[in-house]
Amino acid sequence: MRKEFKKNRELYLMCVPALLVLLAFAYIPMAGIWMAFTKYNIKDGIFGSEFVGLQNFKYFFTSSTGMGPKVIKNTLVINFWGLIFGTILPITIAICFNEVRGKIFKKVTQSAMFFPYFLSWVVVGAIVYAFFSTDTGMVNRMLANGGHDIVRWYAEKKYWKPIIITADVWKWAGYNSIIYMAAMTNFDASLYDAASVDGANRFQQILHITLPLIKPTVVVLSLMSIGRIFFGDFGMIYGIVGNNSLLYEEVAVIDTYVYSAMRSLGFSYTTAIGLFQSVMGLILVTLSNKLAKKVNEGEGLF
Amino acid sequence: MNRRKTKPFSADFWVKAFAYFLIAFLAIACLYPLIMVLSVSFSDNTAVTKYGYSAIPQDFSTDTYLYLFVHSGTRILRSYAVTICITIIGTILSMIITSMISFALSIRALKYRNQIAYICNFTIIFSAGLIPWYYVCTNWYHLTDSYAGLILPTVFSVWSMFLMRTYFDAVPQSLYESAKIDGASYMKIYVSIAIPLCKTAMLTVGLMYALGYWNDWWNALMFINDRDKFPLQYFLYNILSNVNAISSGRVPSGAAANIKLPSETVKMAVTMITIGPIIFLYPFIQKYFVDGIMTGAVKE
Repeated sequence: MRKEFKKNRELYLMCVPALLVLLAFAYIPMAGIWMAFTKYNIKDGIFGSEFVGLQNFKYFFTSSTGMGPKVIKNTLVINFWGLIFGTILPITIAICFNEVRGKIFKKVTQSAMFFPYFLSWVVVGAIVYAFFSTDTGMVNRMLANGGHDIVRWYAEKKYWKPIIITADVWKWAGYNSIIYMAAMTNFDASLYDAASVDGANRFQQILHITLPLIKPTVVVLSLMSIGRIFFGDFGMIYGIVGNNSLLYEEVAVIDTYVYSAMRSLGFSYTTAIGLFQSVMGLILVTLSNKLAKKVNEGEGLF
Repeated sequence: MNRRKTKPFSADFWVKAFAYFLIAFLAIACLYPLIMVLSVSFSDNTAVTKYGYSAIPQDFSTDTYLYLFVHSGTRILRSYAVTICITIIGTILSMIITSMISFALSIRALKYRNQIAYICNFTIIFSAGLIPWYYVCTNWYHLTDSYAGLILPTVFSVWSMFLMRTYFDAVPQSLYESAKIDGASYMKIYVSIAIPLCKTAMLTVGLMYALGYWNDWWNALMFINDRDKFPLQYFLYNILSNVNAISSGRVPSGAAANIKLPSETVKMAVTMITIGPIIFLYPFIQKYFVDGIMTGAVKE
């Protein structure tokens, strides 16, 4: 071992800065997980505070506010529909892109669809505001012009799951369609030629050739998303609705709940929630990696 | 086969028609909001308050931009400067750190490369969670209100390392070996062989990091309280979240009168200023992102 380090010393040194960053921001924080099992107070510090076992976890699932189960549900619902529409739409785009001709048309439309990926969630939040602001928003103007009652969008929580899911799909559709297009460039063109000779029309070709061929990519990408289904997109939620308390119950995901409960309910409780999330993630990622290996001829997700 | 003429109203015709329609529709759906933001930022504020947002400027005026740069100019320029510095310094640091480890791990002769890769992978699979991370960053590393807090926590991305390794792995090892025989050190090989060969990769990953820093406001939300250190995105976030609080009716109307609300046009002008550089660079940088996504995707 020492010989190896001596021989490739330079190469190991080149790894050091990256490993130091991971040590500082990923591994050292793991010591703080201990807070989840204690009743943390500043005076006694992380390891001196009173040990309380699983009490913090219990509180998360059974507290009378019911916020725990609520934020878990919100996280799963938003991620689930984001996964469904965020798969169907990009595949449809990729397939349609194969059907259209015209270099300029393709270039312009692809650039347009890819652009939202470059925007931060804050900017997306500004765009959502432009649509839904009560007094000046475009949607209310349209409602008013059509003779309908206007809606105080930012005070009506029931609309926000669909709005957030739409924003999510909108932002990532172009990006994800590029992944599917990359997969489709590897498809064997002779399959299509043969089908064409046999008299299959384009729709039948899409149905019986493209879709079956793209299935492995879909499965792998979906498994990756499922592995992270307990992780909400903090930036998305906070960028779009901020800490609006009227919408909070409907759109708070585990991650935003942890952040906002950090000050009111303390470090121990919120660490416990984070740990629950990480463990669920660990289990699901491991499982989906195993499954991915099965469908993907031995190649896992990473 | 694709060149074959499509008969009108056949099945192929409808597939084609649908494809054109959907692509055009979605392209418009992606651009329209931006056009609206742009047009409002160039509108007269009274007209916007009266008629609402629209995709055509109402009473075209550049007053908002003049106002922004004359009245709250120092504030915005300061945030701009913060964002630009963070983006440049952060990207350079990230690239050095990421390319070095990616290069080292692409050398087959490195015996413990799989173990090191595993140390990196594990941080993706399992993390301590927000609170311990926040605790350590603020109490032990004292990142509160420091510029380091805007760079260091996100300075190395394991995903970017994966992507860069894919490029480095494609370089034939024999090139390195012959240089090694000629007496070159690995550092020399890295600088004068590996990096020049992977120029596109460097640009791709570098641009991805740069976009990340430019768009970042999470680090600012966590660590920055001092207004002078707000990056651009966080500046915009603060403008919008004040507005959000009042339009939800959460702030009592008496208190609302005390909070100075930015006008509609100001909000959209700040949004435009935030994404302006991306729009200008977009035609030139887009292809690198597409390349990066495709490389990552093909590997899967």
